This record gives sequence, structure tokens and C-alpha cells, in this order.
Amino acid sequence: MPSTDDALVLTGIGHEYRGGSGPVPALDGIDLSLAAGEHLVVVGPSGSGKSTLLRLIAGFLRPTRGEIAAGGVPVRGPGPDRGMVFQQPTLFPWLSVRANVEFGLRTAGVPRERRREVAGERLAQVGLADAGRMRTYELSGGMRQRVAIARALAPDPGVLLMDEPFGALDALTRERLQDEVRALWSATGKTIVSITHDVDEAVRLGSRLVVLSARPGRIVLDETSGLPRSPDPRAEPGFAPLRDRLASAVRAAAA
Amino acid sequence: MSAPAEAPPAPAAPTAPRRRREGPSRRRALGLRVLSVGGLLLLWWAVARAQVWPPVVLPPPGAVWAQAVATSTEGYSGHTLGEHLLTSLRRILVGSAWGTLGGVLLGLLIGLVPAVRAMLGPLVTFVRTLPPLAYLSLLVIWFGIGEEPKIWLLVVASLPPVAVATADAVRGVDPDHLNAARSLGARPWQQALWVVLPHSLPEISTGVRIAVGVAYTSVVAAETVNGVPGIGGMIREAQRFNHTDVVILGLIVIGLSGLLIDRLLVTLDRTVAPWRGRT
Repeated sequence: MPSTDDALVLTGIGHEYRGGSGPVPALDGIDLSLAAGEHLVVVGPSGSGKSTLLRLIAGFLRPTRGEIAAGGVPVRGPGPDRGMVFQQPTLFPWLSVRANVEFGLRTAGVPRERRREVAGERLAQVGLADAGRMRTYELSGGMRQRVAIARALAPDPGVLLMDEPFGALDALTRERLQDEVRALWSATGKTIVSITHDVDEAVRLGSRLVVLSARPGRIVLDETSGLPRSPDPRAEPGFAPLRDRLASAVRAAAA
Repeated sequence: MSAPAEAPPAPAAPTAPRRRREGPSRRRALGLRVLSVGGLLLLWWAVARAQVWPPVVLPPPGAVWAQAVATSTEGYSGHTLGEHLLTSLRRILVGSAWGTLGGVLLGLLIGLVPAVRAMLGPLVTFVRTLPPLAYLSLLVIWFGIGEEPKIWLLVVASLPPVAVATADAVRGVDPDHLNAARSLGARPWQQALWVVLPHSLPEISTGVRIAVGVAYTSVVAAETVNGVPGIGGMIREAQRFNHTDVVILGLIVIGLSGLLIDRLLVTLDRTVAPWRGRT
């Protein structure tokens, strides 16, 4: 049962896109409530509306049906209480790395010294303490995504949203960043919602796992991970069975 | 004034072989340019020397050079060459500065507010297609023959290209850049000032380059009425007295200073948006 303490509550969410020949259903009957400090990973085949779900939570889209509440407040649009990390880093190339991280503090009128301090802390958290003066176009893909995470975390959002954040990275970098996000989550206790089509990634990162079916997306599996919050859950005996359950749910959903 | 004939070199890749290939070819291009200018001068001199046409039609290079010295020191119709040029440059600077300011503001509005786009978009396109000489008459009726109509002409000529470039750039802003800004708490004015405007800077700077070019070509039109001092006024005056050498001198001065200003703007263009093509 959803309680008001939950970081995120989705009630009866349905969403349709306007298409050339009538509305195209993307999501249907999504009920979900997420306790603070959880990392929810939404897995699904392409076209399952998982990106739509995240954009609804972010407030970029308004749901056709249903209600979303973040931190007990109904979502009416984007806001600094829900930080967003996009698949493409969407950093502002005209700003330095530090100014990018400071952006969400500048909009809130945080004084300059305090901004610098917070940006420094966030950059250190993602292992880029010395990169503040660099330009974003001087960074590698993995570094850009780290900056994007630092930028989203700077205003201290209640929920961090990540839309396939490692989808555009090479395998090695992806794995490193997965470890880092897991460490960051353990260290900060941040509530996170992320999206992936990679089952392994989902099980490595998520404390709560949801699988969406193909169009329109419906929840076909909703499981609490149960794996301990160790640095690398792949070594745990529960990892492989959980991954297999998830994989077969995704396969069934795609069919 | 159009773009210089050679394309601005792409930011040199830090790879050694590429540089090695680039060096000689650039030197060769420079050599060819010197050769073409020299050849043209030689041809001019030879034709003038052969007296195919009388000097009042085609004065020899020497006569134009002598005029350059004379107008620089003694002046022509009461002002030295430097005064004529500086007066015109000042008009170009003031006119295109206001044109740029107005163009950026108008472009932002056109790009951001659909209602403004619907209302003013066609008007801007209409004004843009008018040749400046065509509305000079109207401006003279409105503002007289002093400095005002000249500045206004340059403003009206330079504003539309900047407005169009800005509006296009604004509409090309990445929606997820705006989404990112909004989820970082940016209010509409912060989105416009901190995301849309800097995003559009490269295109705006290109628009400015075009605007200054338009102002440059229009200044001669602006100076056809009571244009002394002014380089266009000087040419106009020289034409009335068949001072062909002064006319040619004026053309050369306009062309050279135009090239110089364009080089300057290209440099500015590159420094204002170093991220261009790199994201």
C-alpha cells in the first residue's frame, strides 16, 4: 500500500501518444510506489514505454491518465526535486564542467561560494575533482556522463532519474560507471529510478526491479532484489537466479 | 560583402601528417593570391599604358596611387581619405550594432513566442528582400538628409539577417537541453538567457558577420544623399566631376577595408563559440 512517506507514487498511470492514425498507447495501468532510498530499475524491450515512464516522472510529459506524486507532492512539470540524467549527457558546452554542475544551484539563487563548494563535492563524488575547469567537449563519454550525474545531484533532488545512462558507452566504461553508481547509491542513500534494457545491469544496480511489457507497457514483474548491498552483487548466490527470472520475463514481454 | 574566397581552415587536427600536408598547400595558396593580384595590376597598367581607352575611362595605376597620396594628405571635397573612411566605418559600426541588438532580441522573440513568429516573421522576410537603395527615399523623407537616415538605413538593412539567424538557432535548440535546464529548476527567463541564448551564439555570430557585410554594402547607398564626408559620398562626388581615379581609389579602399573587417569577424566567430562542431 502506498504511504505518504514514499519517495515516489504512481497511481493508475496511462499514456498515449498522438499518432497519424489515432492515439498510440505507450503505457497502461501503471501502479507503483517506491520507498525512499531504493534504486528502482525498470527493464523492458524497446517500445515498452520505459523512457516514457521516466519522462512522465520527470515532468517533461503529462500522463493521459493517473497521478504521479514525488515526495508527497503531485508532479505538474519538471523540477529540481527530480534530477535527470539523460542517455546523451546534454551538458551545456558553453559552460565549464564546474559551471554545468552549478547550474541547478544558480537557478535557485545559491550564492557563488556555496555553489563552488557544492560543485566541488559533487565532482569529487563522481571522481572528477580536478576536472572543474575543463570544457565539456574535452571530456570522454564516460566523464561526460559522470558530470551529468554530478549536475543532477547538485540541487540535492529527492529522486535521481537516469534514462539508460550508460547506453551510449563502451562496455568497459559502462561497467566502471555501474560500479560507481552502485557505490554512490550506497554512500548517499539517494532514491534512484533508472532505465535499462540490459538485464545484468538491472540486477547489479537495482534494489527493486520492474519489467514492462511491450506496447502498451504494463508491469509484468515487480520484485525486490534481496541481494545484499555489497560492492559487487554478481558474486552473490542469489544473483544468477534473479537475473534468469528477469531475463525470461523480458523475453516473454517482448514476444 | 560575401565570404572570402578561401574557406576558413578547419581547426587543425593535432595529427602530425595532416599538418605536414597543410603547410606547403597554404603557402602555395598565398603565392597564388599574390600572383593573381600582381597579374591584375600588371594587366591594368598595360591596358592603361596602351591608351585603349582615354584616362578618364581607365586611369593608370600610378594616377590612382597619386590620388591615394593626395587625398590622404590634402583631402578630397574637404576631407582626407582617412576621414571619409572613418566616417563610413563609424556609420557601419553604429548601424550594425543597433541592427544586431534589435535582430537578436527580435530573433529570440520570433523563435520563442509562436504568436510573435506568426506576426513578425513574414514582415522580417519582406524587409530582408528589399534592396536598401529602395527604402532610402522613404528614410530621407522621414529623417531628412543628415546622419539619421544613413544610420537607419544600415539598421534596417542589418537587422533582418541577424533576426532570421537568431530565430533559426533558437528553434534548433536541443529539447533535452531545455528539459535538463527545467529539471534543474530554470524558470523561463533563465532558460532563455542561460540556455537558448548561449546555444544560439554561433549562429548569432554568423548573423552578425552577415549583418556587418550588409551594412558595408549598404553604406554606399546610404551616402548617395549628402554623403560627404563618407567613402560612398566621396565616390559619388568624384563621379560628378569624372574623377575616375578617385572613384577607383574609393572602390579599392572599400574592398580592402571590407576584407579586413571580414577577417576580424571570422576570428571573432571562432573565439565566441569554441565548442562549435565539437559536441
